[in-house]
Amino acid sequence: MKQLITLDSNPDVYIVNQLVSYLSPQKIYVPIINSNYNVNDYIKKNTRFSSCFSSVSGLVSKQKKVLWNNEKVIAYEINNNYKEESISKIKYKKPTDLEEFKSLLEKYILNNILDKINKKEKIDKLIISSVDEEEYTLKEFIILANFHKEILATCEYLLKIFNIDEITLVTKNINAKSIRNVKSIIGTYPSIDFKLLPDKYLLGYDEYLCEYLNTDINNTLVLKTSDIYNIYNSIIKGKNITETILTISGDAITKSFIINTKIGVSLKEIIDNFIKFNTKEFNVYVNGYLKGNKIKDYEDIIITSSIDCIVFKSTTKEEEDECINCGACNKICPVNINVLKCLKHTLKSSKCIGCGLCNYICPAKIKLKEIVRGDKDEEKDN
Amino acid sequence: MKRKTIKKLVLENIYLLIPLVLYGIYKNGYLVYSRNLLAFSNIFKPLYLILIGVVIKFIVDIIFYKKFKIDYNLLYTILIAMIMPSNINYLVFTIGFLVFYIASLYLDKYVKINKVCLIYVLLILVNSIFNEFTFANNLELKYSFSYNFFDLLMGRNIGGISSSSIFFSLIAFSYLIYSIYYKKEIPFVINITYLLLAFIYFFITNDNSLLLNSEVIFASIFVCTIPLYSPTKLIKQILYGISIGIITFIISLFNSVISIYCATLIVSIIINILLKVLKKPKIKEKLVKS
Repeated sequence: MKQLITLDSNPDVYIVNQLVSYLSPQKIYVPIINSNYNVNDYIKKNTRFSSCFSSVSGLVSKQKKVLWNNEKVIAYEINNNYKEESISKIKYKKPTDLEEFKSLLEKYILNNILDKINKKEKIDKLIISSVDEEEYTLKEFIILANFHKEILATCEYLLKIFNIDEITLVTKNINAKSIRNVKSIIGTYPSIDFKLLPDKYLLGYDEYLCEYLNTDINNTLVLKTSDIYNIYNSIIKGKNITETILTISGDAITKSFIINTKIGVSLKEIIDNFIKFNTKEFNVYVNGYLKGNKIKDYEDIIITSSIDCIVFKSTTKEEEDECINCGACNKICPVNINVLKCLKHTLKSSKCIGCGLCNYICPAKIKLKEIVRGDKDEEKDN
Repeated sequence: MKRKTIKKLVLENIYLLIPLVLYGIYKNGYLVYSRNLLAFSNIFKPLYLILIGVVIKFIVDIIFYKKFKIDYNLLYTILIAMIMPSNINYLVFTIGFLVFYIASLYLDKYVKINKVCLIYVLLILVNSIFNEFTFANNLELKYSFSYNFFDLLMGRNIGGISSSSIFFSLIAFSYLIYSIYYKKEIPFVINITYLLLAFIYFFITNDNSLLLNSEVIFASIFVCTIPLYSPTKLIKQILYGISIGIITFIISLFNSVISIYCATLIVSIIINILLKVLKKPKIKEKLVKS
């Protein structure tokens, strides 16, 4: 087994582990794909679009180019009228078998969960992971700490759906609040095995987590607590997913926090309402500093359910030096890529899992992940 | 796992060298002074040499880069000052180091030859024109001593001005092997190869003088592992270590102090020639294929 890595904690970043709510945004954005609305058309809450539901009700004010899940798309700008007028609900019944469950996942646009299930030929074991991968993220922790009752109830429900005997719920041993809350009620769920993991990087990857827990990845379905919370809200409660939780952190902002907000809100609106900067020179990373991508036009970013965190990192601490040929990147790479060779000849590697450990360990602060994944070429092409 | 910047790595190495410098001051300064063979001001010669080197680096940095950088060149400067013979002339060191240091900065752009060894060999050659070619201090030149194993382990060997303590070198090594940035395989291979050959030599000739060579241990830990001039792949590190070990042993038959520096320089030059001869056609072939 590849050695798991303990990441250094960043003393400049302290994330307040309480949930901030921002559920009444002024505007939201939804991508225009297979939908035909005009300016001043009225859109009700829960109206289905191709990749999401409208999270507020209001009038379409204009069309605008935005960054939706890392892609530039044209979106409707909807002005919130704060009435939360929803489309009428159909009578809802909780599914009792896997096929019905899968069709509802599609209906509620939980395609990432559906894909995970469809990839498995047989599911013998279910692992629910509440592991946040990076120092800048606390999304899974806060979900388990605040919604532990809902998570455990959903786990019990999934036992019947997947017809399995046991579910393993895992979290890091440093998450005191979530451990305390889960332990207070875990006794009433005998089929759920609660395990604590060391605070090591890579355990957020299904492959390494299964290896650590000695389970066969081919027959094991690994879901995040955020997935379980979405299943609870949609399939058990019959609500559309219109809200999401994400961490906003980094050393370029005065206060790091976890926010519960509507899907479709622009990052600019969150910045205007919540964020004060320490410095004018910073980079923005979506979905983590190690794993995520650097985004240039950060004001165009739209918050979606696939965004776990947004990191504002000051550029003064990121100045690159020349490679000193220490070889630490080669030693740390979990998939044994010759990173130095990629750097010298600007080669891409298809083996790269994008963990960002090469960036993390490099003493010269060279953005090796971008080279190995070919992101630098794409930037040049753009 | 501790992530470190270049500055931190350099400073960490410098801190590890401090006990060796202090021992150098004791052995090549205080002990010689106590027998009235050295002026009081020269007790701190190891420190003066380091200071001269650092000041030269500071001036060159200010002229070329407009700011003083804590980079690997600072470590090279300190290492060069530490491995000089105790009879090195201040003027020769100052002028020689300045000239060779600036020249090596230009050389770096074209070839990757171990800068420490290159400047060291050139300085030794220049110094031998003005001074006697010896690494012994005044005390060692005047008296002959019978040292036991522990004396030699502590650093009573004849060697560089602050590089003779095997004990402090090994302490530094035991710290460095836990760092992901350190190429720990290289010192192991060099010392094993060298010791094997030295033992064979001892069994044949009954001469044990090559067995405990403080310079080989010091240089294999600090000089041969300089990241920029050493290979990163394990197999290449083993080949690099074995070749340095063998050449070091051969040169040790003539002079044990300079042997490892000459060997590292030779291997460094050979690697550069091989890279130029073998690598370029390969890359060109790949480009044509693609």
